[in-house]
Amino acid sequence: MISFFQQYPEYWSDWFARLLLGARVSAELSLTGFALAAVLGALLAWAMKSPSVLLKRLAVFFIQGMRAVPLLALLLALYFTLPSLGLTLSGYWAGAIGLGLQGSAYVAEILRGGLDSLHRGQRESAIATGLTPLQAFTSVIFPQAIRGMLPPLLNAYVSILKDSSLCALIATDELMLAARAIASESFLPMHIFLLVGLFYFVIAFPLSLLSRVLEVRFSRGRKTIRG
Amino acid sequence: MVNLQAFLGLLPLLLKGAMNALQIALCTLVLASAGGLILAVLLTFSRSRLVHGAIACFIEWMRNVPALAHLFLIYFGLSYLGINLPAWLAAIVGLSLVGSAVLADTFRAGLQSLHVGQHEAGQAVGLHRLQILRYILLPQALRVALPAYANYVTQLIKDTSIASAIAVPEIMFLARNLVTSTFQTSLIYLAVMCIYAAMILPIGVGFIRLERHLRAAR
Repeated sequence: MISFFQQYPEYWSDWFARLLLGARVSAELSLTGFALAAVLGALLAWAMKSPSVLLKRLAVFFIQGMRAVPLLALLLALYFTLPSLGLTLSGYWAGAIGLGLQGSAYVAEILRGGLDSLHRGQRESAIATGLTPLQAFTSVIFPQAIRGMLPPLLNAYVSILKDSSLCALIATDELMLAARAIASESFLPMHIFLLVGLFYFVIAFPLSLLSRVLEVRFSRGRKTIRG
Repeated sequence: MVNLQAFLGLLPLLLKGAMNALQIALCTLVLASAGGLILAVLLTFSRSRLVHGAIACFIEWMRNVPALAHLFLIYFGLSYLGINLPAWLAAIVGLSLVGSAVLADTFRAGLQSLHVGQHEAGQAVGLHRLQILRYILLPQALRVALPAYANYVTQLIKDTSIASAIAVPEIMFLARNLVTSTFQTSLIYLAVMCIYAAMILPIGVGFIRLERHLRAAR
């Protein structure tokens, strides 16, 4: 047991620097993916709320499709089939777009659920007091809805961060690929994969915790408002 | 553009991969459900701080680290310690560990949504603890947990694709081999996505039916 841990100090400076570099790419990659997911998810949520039946159907079809396909299949398809159509993406961008596409389906559901959780009267009374629909959304609907949406959105980001490890399989130079490279050089896979797990954990756990704290706080706030 | 002959030639191998993926998913589902249920019951009824702490650590570690890291840890890491699991078994063990953490949360939420009176009433009529759990609490808790369980099952089928990274011959792994030998890249990945959708969508519909059926039965 002790000899197991003795390996760490020996290689620490090399491993830590390389994994840290990978972790930075992973963080950037997952944030880019999340930003894409947020924009596309907002568009999808808007499409599902729109009066046009066609838009609604298209949005639902897209969301169901994205939820039925594994991320890995999506990533490989983006990375390997787009070049034959004349569009070559780097591993990083294929990864970010794949994460964004799949994430958007989840984000859209979160946004829609958050908006649906508010009573219809909120919007109606805002409009009745003379606000335009846009004002009603930005100053009445959104500030209330965001409280319910924030915890699941944080969880969605954590999922995207974890899923970004799959981008190693399309040769994106991120945390997991760095770990695999080190593992195959050093022949110490147990050490490396424990350490890389810890790297992911250190980023993901505080966010998961924050999500839970916010959820409790927001639901408590709501109770006092309702009396 | 799409060569039908080529497509039909690829299909048997991909379908064999799909069967392998479903077998892994099924084994994982059984193990993860059992593990999740045991953890949830312990979390709900144990008063020991040690038990709570250990289970919480397990759940957080499993839920905040990518499944791929767990698979590599089990497949490559354990072989370093002299335990050589075959790839398919490593995949099942890894996915089951992650799954039992996810399902522990799901089942616990279901159990804790029940009123205390359910438990007390069971005691009052003279049932012992396991009987209360088996006949009163679990049937109700599982009903509450069903939508989240359905989500887990579909997620699990998608996650079996990760096993291709440790060379388990499931659909994704076979697809990648086919791509390198036939160069029918877009055709193969399109077929793969269709096969996954064909596995997952009916399961989603089935669970919605089941939910409706259970609600009607109440």
